Amino acid sequence: MAENTEANRDTKHGVALAVTLWAITVVSVAYFFKYDVPELASDRGAQDSIYYVILGITGFAYVAVQFVLGLYIWKYRHRDGAEGSYWHDSHTMEIAWTVGTTVVLVPIVAWGLMLWQDVKAAPPEGDILVIEAVGAQFQWDMRYPGPDGEFGTWQPELYSLDNYLGLDPDDQAGQDDIHLTNQMVIPVDEPVRIMLRSRDVQHAFFLPNFRVKQDAVPGMQTSVWFTPTKIGEYEIACAELCGLGHYRMRAFLSVRSQADYQTWLAEQSAAN
Amino acid sequence: MSEGHDDHGHGGFISKYIFSFDHKMIGKQYLTLVMFMAIVGGALAMLVRLQLGYPGMHAEFWGKLFPTGMSQGVMTPEFYVMLFTMHGTIMVFFVLSLGPVSGFGNYLIPLQIGARDMAFPFLNMMSFWTALPGAIIILISFLVEGGAAASGWTAYPPLSAIRSAIPGSALGQTLWLVGMVFFVASFTMGGLNFVVTIINMRAKGLSMMRLPLTTWAQFIVGILGLLSFPALAAGAILLVFDRSLGTSFYLPEGMFIGDTLLPHSGGSPLLWQHLFWFLGHPEVYIIMLPALGFTSDILSTFTRRPIFGYRSMVYAMLAIGFLSFIVWGHHMFMSGMSPFLGTMFTMTTLCIAVPSAVKTFNWLATLWKAKIRFTTPMLFALGIVSLFVTGGLTGIFLGTNVVDIQLHDTYFVVAHFHFIMAGAGLFGMFAAIYYWYPKMFGRHMNETASKVHFWFTFITYYGVFFPMHYLGIAGMMRRIYDPNTYDYLKPLQPVNTFITICAFVLGASQVIIFVNYFWSMFKGKKVESENPWSANTLEWSTPIEPGHGNWPAELPDVYRWPYDYQHPDADDDFTPQWEPPKKAAAK
Repeated sequence: MAENTEANRDTKHGVALAVTLWAITVVSVAYFFKYDVPELASDRGAQDSIYYVILGITGFAYVAVQFVLGLYIWKYRHRDGAEGSYWHDSHTMEIAWTVGTTVVLVPIVAWGLMLWQDVKAAPPEGDILVIEAVGAQFQWDMRYPGPDGEFGTWQPELYSLDNYLGLDPDDQAGQDDIHLTNQMVIPVDEPVRIMLRSRDVQHAFFLPNFRVKQDAVPGMQTSVWFTPTKIGEYEIACAELCGLGHYRMRAFLSVRSQADYQTWLAEQSAAN
Repeated sequence: MSEGHDDHGHGGFISKYIFSFDHKMIGKQYLTLVMFMAIVGGALAMLVRLQLGYPGMHAEFWGKLFPTGMSQGVMTPEFYVMLFTMHGTIMVFFVLSLGPVSGFGNYLIPLQIGARDMAFPFLNMMSFWTALPGAIIILISFLVEGGAAASGWTAYPPLSAIRSAIPGSALGQTLWLVGMVFFVASFTMGGLNFVVTIINMRAKGLSMMRLPLTTWAQFIVGILGLLSFPALAAGAILLVFDRSLGTSFYLPEGMFIGDTLLPHSGGSPLLWQHLFWFLGHPEVYIIMLPALGFTSDILSTFTRRPIFGYRSMVYAMLAIGFLSFIVWGHHMFMSGMSPFLGTMFTMTTLCIAVPSAVKTFNWLATLWKAKIRFTTPMLFALGIVSLFVTGGLTGIFLGTNVVDIQLHDTYFVVAHFHFIMAGAGLFGMFAAIYYWYPKMFGRHMNETASKVHFWFTFITYYGVFFPMHYLGIAGMMRRIYDPNTYDYLKPLQPVNTFITICAFVLGASQVIIFVNYFWSMFKGKKVESENPWSANTLEWSTPIEPGHGNWPAELPDVYRWPYDYQHPDADDDFTPQWEPPKKAAAK
């Protein structure tokens, strides 16, 4: 075949592409050491473990494939007189990469689903702290059952400007409920269950430091439970587009020692 | 069987350029529409990035340009929500679906299978003239009171159903839904045409297992579109009913919006999510598969190597197409859907990793011992391989439901789909434009400008979308107007500013391809050979500027598969599909 000058001229783009791919790979991986998940403050550390394992496996695959891609681009760039190859089928290799990928994925899926089971399982039996969080454009209304340990009932048709939680005024159990806006206080090392509802559009209750996220859906009751493990002040976010104020639907979560929590609870009940 | 169509070759201006029956002209019409919509969709993204890179930036100039959206020279939150909603809508449907599928599918299918036109040329014309009103309706929605739709491209009710929930949920949202119904109608006509044409109108000797992978991809896409898009059309019509006729398909009782208790009862917002994602997930593959087909064909041409593992490539695409119908729930892990369904959808979702990995490894094996010619289409095709790997791997995080708890609705997802779906779709379209341009217009595009376009696009694409992984890991939510509202997101502002700068360069560098595309139509170097790339597929056996009917004389016969490069018995380094076997040794 005659010398193809255009092909020869273009090889510099191949060399540049190989180097660019390697450079992108190195830089993009390096920054994974700088940016990490927010500091963990709950018992959901296993979610971080599986995240790091997947990050390791996919990170390895990413580096390996991008490197080989760059290498082949570099090595097999057009050169006059280079030997070609018509080889285009290998049953063995197709089986190898089908089985190989499957073998890597099955344990990830199995482990992931076991953890999912744990996270989604029913909360521990017995007297566990339950708090209600009601999403609304653009705030989170929190409700505690108060000293009697029981929530007053609510009805969707009772929502009004004066009764923004739709509470039944005749229900005695609701008289001592504690109401807070954009603020939640919970004791450390004690499981807490959060019952979610929405009184308008969809919202998502997101606790970045606790590895917790759950949509609040109108007409539905959803819930999450977890155990906070670190005392401190944290942020609650809305993670589902809920309107023009979605970005400022922010609330605060305070994790306190058992003693501080009881003091706070007594103050709230007294103020009620 | 299709000889009947070749007689309306030379009509007047209107029948040639406007109401054309010629699949090639219809394909070009689609591409012109796509380019216009891409300018709009891209400009919206630039404004989104402006706000995220420089939150609350004040400029009097903006106030004059957008008197409502940036009234005091500062962008309002409702304007911001509208921007990303319409960016997603326009890009997903009117750029990345219409371009690779309706544009290149129409243009290439008859040429690659040796047919004179699509099976139903009138339906084909109707399909374009249904898509166009859809696009116009979507564009007009920017001008109505309240502005265009602002409930995300996913249009989740109640936000999209209740007029008082957000300004864009007024007339803008209705127009969005109507535009979408037009789009679905157009796409369904196209899909029907694709499937019927490929099944019935292949040239003599062109068995299914001799089809180029591009046409295989379009065949699968046609089936996916036919089965999935009607769900969106039905869903959209029910949502129009909820909005305008007082029904409650998606609306439960107890919604207190705008100081009033709404009278709806009995519906479920999750129904919409199921219907939407039943389309939405196959839609991702509708966008991607053609790009993967282009990649395979272009890699083979410019490596001067047969595509590695042709059969496994076909099976992989079929597997991806099938699986795409049973994974939609992975968009709903946090929605309140039963956790048992979440378990099922994690298993089906991660199955997709297997055929995807097979494709990647086959591409790498195609490069092995290649003689790569780094033309611009080849550079973009290699770019797709790189983006496909990057975006595919992050799917493992999101498909594993327990990991998705933290990453769902964060920028990690935005990074993921911009690499895998948008990246493949966009780079696929670029590769296809550069590769088939000589066939489409009989001229070459300017080579230097094309290469400059590649380099700016490839590097800034990584610059824009890779750092979004870091944002997502650090917990930054999608669709927020100002991340600095949250203390824990404040340290991320430099990343956002960096992304914005890269995005502006990425956006600006697209001017190069627009100018090159239109300039080269008139001024480009004339194509001198019917087969300028020395390729094997049938489109390169047509005259330099094929008329309506594609082949002036008889249709070509096919003697082999499309990937005979470097065949040991051949004299040249390529053996086209239409070349008869040598007299003595038949293959």
